[in-house]
Amino acid sequence: MEKIRTIIIDDESPARELIKHYLTELDDIEVIAECADGFNGLKTITALKPDLVFLDIQMPRLTGIEMIEVMTEKPEIIFTTAYDQFALKAFELNAVDYLMKPFPKRRFLEATKKAVDKIRSGLGNKKPASHLLEKKPDTGAPVNRIVVRKGNAINLIPVDQIRFVEAQDDYVMIYHTAGKALKQQTMKFYEENLPREDFVRVHRSYIVRVEEINKIEPYGKDNHLAILKSGDKLPVSRSGYKQLKEELNF
Amino acid sequence: MKHPVFENSVRQLVWWLVWIMVALGQSVLFYYVYGSFIRISLVESFVSMIVYSGLALSIWYPFQYFNSGETRTSVQLTNIIIIGAITVSLWILLVKIITGTVVQEGISYNNYWTTTLPYRIGEGVFLYGLVILTYYLFISLTKLSERNAKAAKLESLVRETEIKMLRSQINPHFLFNSLNSISSLTITDPEKARDMVVKLSEFMRYALSRKDEQPVTLQNELDNLRLYLDIEKVRFGDKLITEESIENECLEFKIPVMLLQPLYENAVKYGVYESTGIVNIITEAKTRDRALQITISNNFDASPRLRIGTGTGLLNVSRRLELYYGNKASISTAKENGIFTVKLIIPEMQN
Repeated sequence: MEKIRTIIIDDESPARELIKHYLTELDDIEVIAECADGFNGLKTITALKPDLVFLDIQMPRLTGIEMIEVMTEKPEIIFTTAYDQFALKAFELNAVDYLMKPFPKRRFLEATKKAVDKIRSGLGNKKPASHLLEKKPDTGAPVNRIVVRKGNAINLIPVDQIRFVEAQDDYVMIYHTAGKALKQQTMKFYEENLPREDFVRVHRSYIVRVEEINKIEPYGKDNHLAILKSGDKLPVSRSGYKQLKEELNF
Repeated sequence: MKHPVFENSVRQLVWWLVWIMVALGQSVLFYYVYGSFIRISLVESFVSMIVYSGLALSIWYPFQYFNSGETRTSVQLTNIIIIGAITVSLWILLVKIITGTVVQEGISYNNYWTTTLPYRIGEGVFLYGLVILTYYLFISLTKLSERNAKAAKLESLVRETEIKMLRSQINPHFLFNSLNSISSLTITDPEKARDMVVKLSEFMRYALSRKDEQPVTLQNELDNLRLYLDIEKVRFGDKLITEESIENECLEFKIPVMLLQPLYENAVKYGVYESTGIVNIITEAKTRDRALQITISNNFDASPRLRIGTGTGLLNVSRRLELYYGNKASISTAKENGIFTVKLIIPEMQN
């Protein structure tokens, strides 16, 4: 039988050592790589296409959750994390399992067995891992960067460079100062996670940075158009107009 | 409320001295009114002052009673006037009876009495006013000082709670990740695991010690921070290095316990956690103008972080400095060329 190809991603070497040690007992698992940060982890997953990934959340450069957001591969994921402000319950159903550090061996083996069974039975993720993320963990604080993928390159867009966000079916197009980027995510996520004082959802399909707006013109019967500094014209719905009015005090 | 006059001996003395002065004053006044000095006028004045003093002492009780609740001003005023009328009449009556039985002078005393009566009434009203004013002043002052004491007590309670809260913020991430490292080391390097358990215990003991707000020496604080950094070094290996340059005379300087902890936690959180390269945390301490200057700096990865920090750590330290030193201490930060620096200036502790 083919071995299950596994990658361990954690920024702490003792944590990786522990997982590796536990895995030595399982003959049908083969650790093919270890990574100490998110960027490297993502690159390695893309290159090696593993079956299973042990993934820490809090890591330099890219968190485990951001990695999943832009993953095009479909490995099974087991989260390993210490106490976290991340509401892990949101992932409970999506990831194979999550392990709270420090975890007992019994728990570890149980989680791993679940993953192995899933992979062996062919019931593995049919969709890319990003589909796991229907809900974003709620930490209260607005996000400061958005991770996007362009081909094989991973980019971090600072939130203060985002001009506006446009809905496109299952995707959103992020227009920022250095171009635009497509990402599989919902408008709701952006509405909830971009800083409220800077962005307004002017339309079902548009969230715009308030200071990008140059002027607002009436359009049709009770709609408006927002003309941006860049010249882009975005439709403004009635409720969007009301929110803008509140935000800008006009 | 206790009677204000009997609260201490000084007040009693003052009280009686004042009445003696008033008695003398009355004699002099009546001498001018009556035109000549009668033999018993001095005795009579003292008798009348002793009587008045007794009455004045006893009106405290009804006065205090009317003033204690939420009585309307008009009612208070009526009460004061009624009590006043009773006091003055009672005083005149008593003095007349007492001196009348003591002094057997007959006509000359009767003349004296009749001539001075209007002045007596005036004097009685005037004295009544003074007594009420004194009592009123006393009650207001007592209420004020009680209120102040209450406010001060409340404030110190709030401060104490706040200080306790501010210092008990150890990052749970740190704790659980350290425990995980220990779990791992028990397999790969039991010796090191044991070492780390000891370090973690020592660190926790210091952090949780309820000897509490006793200031500690910089030496103590630095020893504990080294424990903390040693533990983080086990987690992150060569990724974390530290440098120190501490002038010897700083080591005995007293500072609040765990004051610096959040600053090192920040250095680790924003430096080590977010970086893939080596992070160097540099500590410098020196004394200038009888104040301690501590500078903590670390390099960091400048790429955007997932979320902007909430500034809790820095706020925490600056709030504690404020609570301990008022505006005499200061904290400032700078970000330059990929290096974050925080600088503290701490004055000598006052007891």
